Amino acid sequence: MDAWFVCGPLEGRIGDSRVLFRNTVVELAEASLTVLEGPSGAGKTTLLRAIAGLDPAPGARRHLAGRTWAPSGALAEWRSQVTWLAQDAPLLGGTVRDNLAFPFRLRAGRSRRFDPQRAGEMMDAVGLGGLDFERGVARLSGGERHRLALVRGLLWDPPVLLADEPLSGIDPERSAACWELVAQWARRPGHAALVVMHDEGFGTDADGRLRLDGGALRALHGGSGA
Amino acid sequence: MNTATVELGWLHLLAATGLVLAAGLLSLLLRLGVGRRLALVSLRTVVQLGLLGLVLERVFALDRAVLVVGLLGVMTIFAAREAVARTRHRYPGVYWDAWMAISTAALLVGSVVTQVVVGAEPWFAPRYVIPLVGMILGNSLTGISLCLDRFLEHLDTRRDEIELRLAFGATRREAMTQPLTEAVRTGLVPLMNAMAAAGIVSLPGMMTGQILAGSPPLQAVAYQVVVMFMLAASTSIGAMIVAILAALRRTRPDGSLED
Repeated sequence: MDAWFVCGPLEGRIGDSRVLFRNTVVELAEASLTVLEGPSGAGKTTLLRAIAGLDPAPGARRHLAGRTWAPSGALAEWRSQVTWLAQDAPLLGGTVRDNLAFPFRLRAGRSRRFDPQRAGEMMDAVGLGGLDFERGVARLSGGERHRLALVRGLLWDPPVLLADEPLSGIDPERSAACWELVAQWARRPGHAALVVMHDEGFGTDADGRLRLDGGALRALHGGSGA
Repeated sequence: MNTATVELGWLHLLAATGLVLAAGLLSLLLRLGVGRRLALVSLRTVVQLGLLGLVLERVFALDRAVLVVGLLGVMTIFAAREAVARTRHRYPGVYWDAWMAISTAALLVGSVVTQVVVGAEPWFAPRYVIPLVGMILGNSLTGISLCLDRFLEHLDTRRDEIELRLAFGATRREAMTQPLTEAVRTGLVPLMNAMAAAGIVSLPGMMTGQILAGSPPLQAVAYQVVVMFMLAASTSIGAMIVAILAALRRTRPDGSLED
């Protein structure tokens, strides 16, 4: 039987020559938090981008919660459900509110509504409670940007989050709370998270660990990769 | 038409050359070092316009539809080349996209102006068709190149913002809305400025030319308004087309960006 989430086979290359990984299938269990680790340059970011369909993945099968997407079919909808949080926490110009609420203004979010109260609670939880929603994001610090991007992802609340080093740039006192928030979010029915970690000392309590190294994705325990 | 038009001859041109020479002399005295360049561009202007004059004389004299259409076709190719030459970003197919945008805009707006507004008789009357379409091409070219440059720049420098939208499920259209809007707006800036300043800060070149050639001022104004609207329409159409064509080529159907 299929796992709750399956995406693959995926291939990652740099240019036309160097192959980072090939024939890689990523599987996630429902209500689980899986850590993806590996040396830098192994292709962790490339793998997340391929899962999200931001780089072409010809022939990849995408399967989520009993539903299968045709290869390269309806990728916009797939991305709204398997959402990639980029490593450098990109923000749109504009205010904090613009950044938190923009997904709900997309066609993919038309059946849902931005909930300012819930947003406020999550901002509190990551230590951004004092941040005015109408404030421009241009002068936020690196740590604030990363926490804002994390809150945006959790608030969007897709079935699957693909988070690329979500704790980078967040100071150590805060990162424990942020990690806890991600873990609680992922361990709910109908959800899962795949998180790239950069040895912040967390991740040992994850439900699964995948390691991408030398072109192969291996499951260290729990989770699975082939 | 009034008969007071001054026919320009060699003597008049020599007098104008004297002015450029005086400017060159001034530059020599002040050691500005632009004398050589000024001489070169002056010569270039004379040669280019002289050649154009000779070609136009022939085309006007022969008065054949094939020649007029052929000349317009050549002009669109040069205009497209020039539009791309002014941008700092390229992609395979960019010349084709620029040509499509500029010729569609010129064809649409040019037909309306020459056939409906001016009512050229016969339809290809070179005296009307060539200068009007030439003006459309010259102005849409600026708008198209600014728009294209801004759009490709956006894709290059703000890729992370576009991918952020995509990552939350934006469709191709949703992801391209902002880059397209900003690019088209940028392409229209010079034209908007010209329209806002028309008659207050500057006497538009065409109107000046017509008044010098003896037209009553109000008639010249009417022509100038037609020209301004024609340029506004063609620049907007050209800028929108080129931006959409570029967007279609630089993104995949699912919205993700081509490398």
